[in-house]
Amino acid sequence: MKILVPFKSVPEPNDATVAGAAVSTPKLVINPFDEIAIEEALRIRERAEATEVVGATIGPPAIDEQIRSALAMGVDRAIRIDDSRILDPYAVARILRALVEREAPHVVIMGKQAVDDDSNQVGQMLAGLLSWPQATFASRIEFLNNKTRARCTRETDAGLEVVEVNLPAIITTDLRLNEPRYVSLPGLMKARRKPIDLLTCDELGVNVRPLTTVLSVGSPPRRAGGTRVESVEELITKLKQEAKVL
Amino acid sequence: MDFAWSNQQRELLDAVGRFAKQQLNYDVIDNDRDGVFNREAWKKCGDFGIQGLLVPTDYGGLGTDPLTTVAALERLGYCCKDNGLLFSINAHMWTAIIPLIYNGSEEQKKKYLPGLSNGTLIGGNAMSEPNSGSDAFSLSTTAVKKGSRYILNGSKIFVTNGPIADLLVVFATLDKTRGPNAISAFLVEKNSPGMNVARKLEKMGLRTSPMAEVFFENCEVPEENLLGKEGGGAFLFTRSMTWERGCILASAVGSMQRLLETCIRYANERKQGGQSIGKFQLVASKIVDMKLRVESSRHMLYHYGWLSGHRKGVYLESAMTKLHISDSWVKCCEDAIQIHGGYGYMTEYEVERELRDAIASKLYSGTSEIQRNIVASMLGL
Repeated sequence: MKILVPFKSVPEPNDATVAGAAVSTPKLVINPFDEIAIEEALRIRERAEATEVVGATIGPPAIDEQIRSALAMGVDRAIRIDDSRILDPYAVARILRALVEREAPHVVIMGKQAVDDDSNQVGQMLAGLLSWPQATFASRIEFLNNKTRARCTRETDAGLEVVEVNLPAIITTDLRLNEPRYVSLPGLMKARRKPIDLLTCDELGVNVRPLTTVLSVGSPPRRAGGTRVESVEELITKLKQEAKVL
Repeated sequence: MDFAWSNQQRELLDAVGRFAKQQLNYDVIDNDRDGVFNREAWKKCGDFGIQGLLVPTDYGGLGTDPLTTVAALERLGYCCKDNGLLFSINAHMWTAIIPLIYNGSEEQKKKYLPGLSNGTLIGGNAMSEPNSGSDAFSLSTTAVKKGSRYILNGSKIFVTNGPIADLLVVFATLDKTRGPNAISAFLVEKNSPGMNVARKLEKMGLRTSPMAEVFFENCEVPEENLLGKEGGGAFLFTRSMTWERGCILASAVGSMQRLLETCIRYANERKQGGQSIGKFQLVASKIVDMKLRVESSRHMLYHYGWLSGHRKGVYLESAMTKLHISDSWVKCCEDAIQIHGGYGYMTEYEVERELRDAIASKLYSGTSEIQRNIVASMLGL
């Protein structure tokens, strides 16, 4: 079984200096949800249910560092689609569809969303474009019937939902699926010898036209400092009259 | 001169930082109070590749050069707050791994280096004795050859990693009348008959790094565990110490950088008399001094690493590096406490622990006075 894991480079989420989303910042990391997808794919391979884990990402040469992180975690090989434009989810899904057709994986595992723009659309769109089944927000993944089906536990607002999908399928990962391993130095050394294949949208035969345009990106307004209240009565009054939430 | 890291070095350093921040900073206050060694973190460091940094790839290591190695350890010290753990790792690297790399037989390297690299084995050395510290070569532990074995007798003190070590490099003399020329090194595995790891020593700082007294009473060591040649122990020890002096405080440079940043943040946040305390020149001046100490320490460390990697003599530089960084570290810690005021003295702020951990750096691997003696002698005095 071959697993394709598309991943995105995003600004380091814990870096307080990052002002907004999807803007160029010096420090990029693999989108944490995608890291969970990579980890899951590696675990599936390690329990001998998959033979190859292929990573794929879209961006300029600057993101090779994140590609090497993925390879250092244990991804067998990686593909970078060389494109430095800011792409919307539909464009990404269309590029990934072409890549899926080229690579023919048995399953695509990817983060449910990227933490920079929080779109949460690519997995679903990709499934739609390919007419593949989808299981989103997976917190548990197992393969059944000689790996022809996958059973996924989904985290929904109403509780845990268990779904089964026929393979090939798209599975998107939620936070509690696993805890990704850290990149080790031996892994990093090995990663230097693993191939990173380069492709372009032209080579994939995709003509990408963004359907959405980002008008501006900015920091959320600064929070005004809190105030102390003397009594419960004062709190109730303020909640009613100033905050108008009661 | 090129002061820039290569992309590969930068990637390696970033990986060290991410790993250390996420994996090593739990239970540090409790472990320091209770004197607990974090074996799990040790294993993680082994799996990650820290202990094997310098070990050639043929023996399960990474084979990184000295400059990259000290930079990696510096980053480790910046991101990991458990100075005791790092001290144990340092003792292991400089006093067990280095002698094995340089003086180990092929069999000894194959047997021990992979385990010492990946965190399954813990090493250390046993040199100091109750009556021989700075005058190391006056040691009185004896080794007598009997058939295919050496019989060791004597006692060792301040053995870092003693209570947890799987392998100790033990120094003993074959003939007390021959001075340094008779000192030899032996690889002694834990639970060797006649070796007794006695009481664990309580200490001021580095409390998460266990230390013990070790006694040898007719301890039998097979002859194949002689490390290097008979009488080669003094040279082996000197080489090991030169490495240790140059590298052991790499993590201290990282720790100083972390303290500096903590102090800058605090000095900006803490308001007294209607302004940030950082606006008071007496506070700012302390922080400037910290910055100068960090930078000068870092430059000496990197210069040492560069020289060592280019196979230049580093006997003088390693002593100066050790002397300067240890001094700087202690002063930075004192300043950091002073800047934090009463809070700096409180355990939960994790500043006072740094001072307790730093002070021993003026004692181990040769006291500051011994380093000065070395520098003076190298200057022709």
